[in-house]
Amino acid sequence: MSAAPLTRAMLVEAPDDLDELIEFFHARRWSDGLPIVPPTRERVERMLSCTTRKPDEVVANVAPGFGAATVERIAINAVMAGCRADYLPVLIAATEAMTAKEFNLQGIQATTNPVAVWLVVNGPIAEQLGVNGGMNCLGQGTVANATLGRALRLILQNLGGAIPGEMDRATHGQPGKFSFCCAENEAQSPWEALHVERGFKRDQSTVTVIGAAGTHNMNTHAKDADDLIRVIADTMAFPTSNDYWIAGEPWIIVSPEHAEVLHAGGLSKADVKRRLWEASKMSAGRMAKIELARTQTARSEELGPITTNTLLPVSRGPEDVGILVAGGPGTHSVYVASFGDARAVTREIV
Amino acid sequence: MTVVSHAFVGLGKAQARALGHPGLPLAVIPHPFGSRTRDEVRALAEQCVGEIAKLAAAK
Repeated sequence: MSAAPLTRAMLVEAPDDLDELIEFFHARRWSDGLPIVPPTRERVERMLSCTTRKPDEVVANVAPGFGAATVERIAINAVMAGCRADYLPVLIAATEAMTAKEFNLQGIQATTNPVAVWLVVNGPIAEQLGVNGGMNCLGQGTVANATLGRALRLILQNLGGAIPGEMDRATHGQPGKFSFCCAENEAQSPWEALHVERGFKRDQSTVTVIGAAGTHNMNTHAKDADDLIRVIADTMAFPTSNDYWIAGEPWIIVSPEHAEVLHAGGLSKADVKRRLWEASKMSAGRMAKIELARTQTARSEELGPITTNTLLPVSRGPEDVGILVAGGPGTHSVYVASFGDARAVTREIV
Repeated sequence: MTVVSHAFVGLGKAQARALGHPGLPLAVIPHPFGSRTRDEVRALAEQCVGEIAKLAAAK
C-alpha cells in the first residue's frame, strides 16, 4: 500500500457565493448530492476542539481506496454533513469500528448489494448528544441521527473513495446510504442494552456499526410471545436473502411494545435470539437453483450435505441474530437483513 | 495480475492504484458472470485462459 505523506489538510479557495460554493463541491464529487456546510478553517478547528486527539493522527485507512482518515479529515466531513462539534468523538469511534477486519468494509463499499453502514449509539452519550432511539428514530427530523449518518457516508465516500458508479458498485443502493443512525431505546428495553451485551459497562458510551441491507416493517398486533416469534421468524425467511446462503448476521429492531410482549412471555434477549434462529430456518428448496448451489459451496462444511430438503439457519448460531430495542409507541418492529459477509463491531466513544 | 469482469474494470483499476500498483495488468472477462451455468463458465474460461496465462507470465 502506498503511504502518502500526511500533513494537515490543504486550504482550498472556494467561491464566496453559497450557490456557487455548493456547486463547487458537487462538481468535485465531494458531496452526497445534498448541499454541504462549508468546512471553513474556523468550523473545523471548533470541531477539533472536542477531541484530545491530534488533527494529523491517522484513525484508520478506509477501504476500498484506503485514504487515511485523520482526525482532521473526519472533522472536515463532519462539518460538511452539518454535525455539531461535540459529535466528533462518535465519528472517530465509528471510523475505528468500521475499519476492523471483521466488518469487511472492502466488501461493503464495493459490492453490488445495497449495503448501508448503520450506526447504533449506546450509553450516556446518546442522551447527551440527542441521538434519537424513540419515535421515528430511523426517519427524519433529529439533527444527531441525520448528520452523524450523513457524515459517516461522506467519510466512506471522500476518504474511502467509494464514489457511486466508480468504486461503489451498488446496483441500486438504498436510502440508508444517505444516513442510517439511531440510538437504542435503553430506557424502554426490558433487557440488557446492546453495548452491555457486547461486553461494555452500562455507563460507557459506544457506537456499533452494522452492514445493513435494508429495513422491512413488521406490523403485528400479536399479544403473546409465541405468536410474535412465529411471525417475525417467518418474515426473516426469504429466498433472496444473503443471510441464508452465506450464514449472515440479521438484525431485528424490536419496538418497546413488542419487547414487552416477549418479556412478558418470559423471554430473555438470548431466548429471543434462540427462538427466532430456530423458527426462521428456511427450506433450501425455496432458493433459486444457483443460490442453492452457492449455499452448498458456502455452508456444507458448517451444515453437512445440503439438499432441497435441508432447513437452513439464517446464521451460524443464535448469537449472530442481532436484537436492538428502538422506536416509539406502535405495533411495529423492523427486520434488517444483513450484507451477510460482515460482522457488527462496537467501539467505545472516548 | 488479476481477473475482473468488464463491469468491474473501473473498480479494479482504482483498487490497484489505491494499493500502490497502478500498472497491475487486468484480464477482463465478460459480464455478467454469477448467473451463468457451469458449462457456460467453462466455455468462457476456455476463451479467456490464453490471455490470463499471458498476463500471468509477463514480468
